[in-house]
Amino acid sequence: MSQVEPQFDVQQLPGREVLRQKIEARIRHLERASGNGLWSMVLFLLVSYFAFDGFAILPDLSDDARRMLGAPPPGEMISLALVVYAFSSIVRTLARMSRNIKPYTGLMHAAFFTAFYTFYQLSGVLQDNFWAVFFAGISVMGLDNYYLWSHSNEAVRKERALLESMRRGGENIQ
Amino acid sequence: MLSSINSRAIVPVACAVTGFVIACCVLLYTFVKDDLIKGEIQHAADLSDTIIKSTRYAMLHDDRESLSNIINSIGEQNLVEHVRIFNKKGLIMFSPDSQEVSQFIDKSAAGCTECHAGPEPKRSLGTMAKARQFTNNAGSDVLAITAPFYNEPECFNAACHFHDPEQSLLGTLDIGVSQDPLKRTLGQIQNRMIMFSAMVLVLTVGAVCSLLYRQVFLPIKQLADFTEDSSGDTLSDEFPEVSGEVARLANAFQKMTRRVRELEGQLQKKEREAIPPDSLP
Repeated sequence: MSQVEPQFDVQQLPGREVLRQKIEARIRHLERASGNGLWSMVLFLLVSYFAFDGFAILPDLSDDARRMLGAPPPGEMISLALVVYAFSSIVRTLARMSRNIKPYTGLMHAAFFTAFYTFYQLSGVLQDNFWAVFFAGISVMGLDNYYLWSHSNEAVRKERALLESMRRGGENIQ
Repeated sequence: MLSSINSRAIVPVACAVTGFVIACCVLLYTFVKDDLIKGEIQHAADLSDTIIKSTRYAMLHDDRESLSNIINSIGEQNLVEHVRIFNKKGLIMFSPDSQEVSQFIDKSAAGCTECHAGPEPKRSLGTMAKARQFTNNAGSDVLAITAPFYNEPECFNAACHFHDPEQSLLGTLDIGVSQDPLKRTLGQIQNRMIMFSAMVLVLTVGAVCSLLYRQVFLPIKQLADFTEDSSGDTLSDEFPEVSGEVARLANAFQKMTRRVRELEGQLQKKEREAIPPDSLP
């Protein structure tokens, strides 16, 4: 019985190239997504830098603007909201980690913590509560970014393994 | 850095817990500080009320000597930094510091602006708005309260007096108490909270780390050592004392190894049978 050399369809090769390009695009997308978390952290640190001296860089609010905004919320209420927000964010990230759900990649946390700085500033108690917002922000965003980074790294590793197996398959064909 | 399962599991949780506990401690300290300061203000306000009531009789009788003695005695108290009574124009009438007497109060200074900020001065303020905190010339932190002497029917109906009934305010008492005891208490609370938080963090993170290490990482490490043994001698041995999922994994690995060895043996046997005996050397 003569052994027949396997015949490969030449039409498969462009398909493989398309697949390879798709995988490479997915890798780039994952690497970009991993970097988004860092941007959010950088934004938060930048806002914290300005909040440290009570947003001295910004002009004071005029009396008309203050009247339009109304009375600021009491410091106790802002602190309560901060604790609830930080606690629920950490629990939500831990739940996402345990269920392996896709991590959050937006700037929502940075926006919320900036809002906390702003409310404390308007209530006149930012100096007393600055470090509370800072450490809450660092812990929430640090955990979120860690999960985003590890999740993206794992996905990139899988995609690279797929790419490698495709490459080996291509060498065998040739 | 985060390549081992230990660090990947422990570091993020430890950092998140540490950050959250620090944030909560800062907020708790702020709450405690606010409560203590409010208590101190209330205490100073009660003290000023007591002084106003104590001086009422002397004022009704226009007894300036008694009034001066009362103010001097109060000023000798340890924690009283200053005490003065000034009239509606801001002229200091009574004070233990003789250099202050007959001087005018600066209406733009802290403590005056709460009432005198607008074109028309306010008639009354809440307890918290009457208080102000500042550092005096001696470098001591002071909590001061201003309390008004209102014009009452007994004042303008008295035979010896000349106050106009239309005049609502006769004068103001200004008393400042030292905040040093409050600062000492806050410092002690701060140190105790730092120690308590550090102990809670060490215990929490330490307990989680040691439990994870004992129950998860150590068995996994033993399993990894067991399976990575290049000679394969240990594969037939019993796996070190572990229980649960790791033991199941070890047993499944051992079964698979035995099965592979059996198949290898069968394959070698078939190869030997397939070779004709005369071809053997």
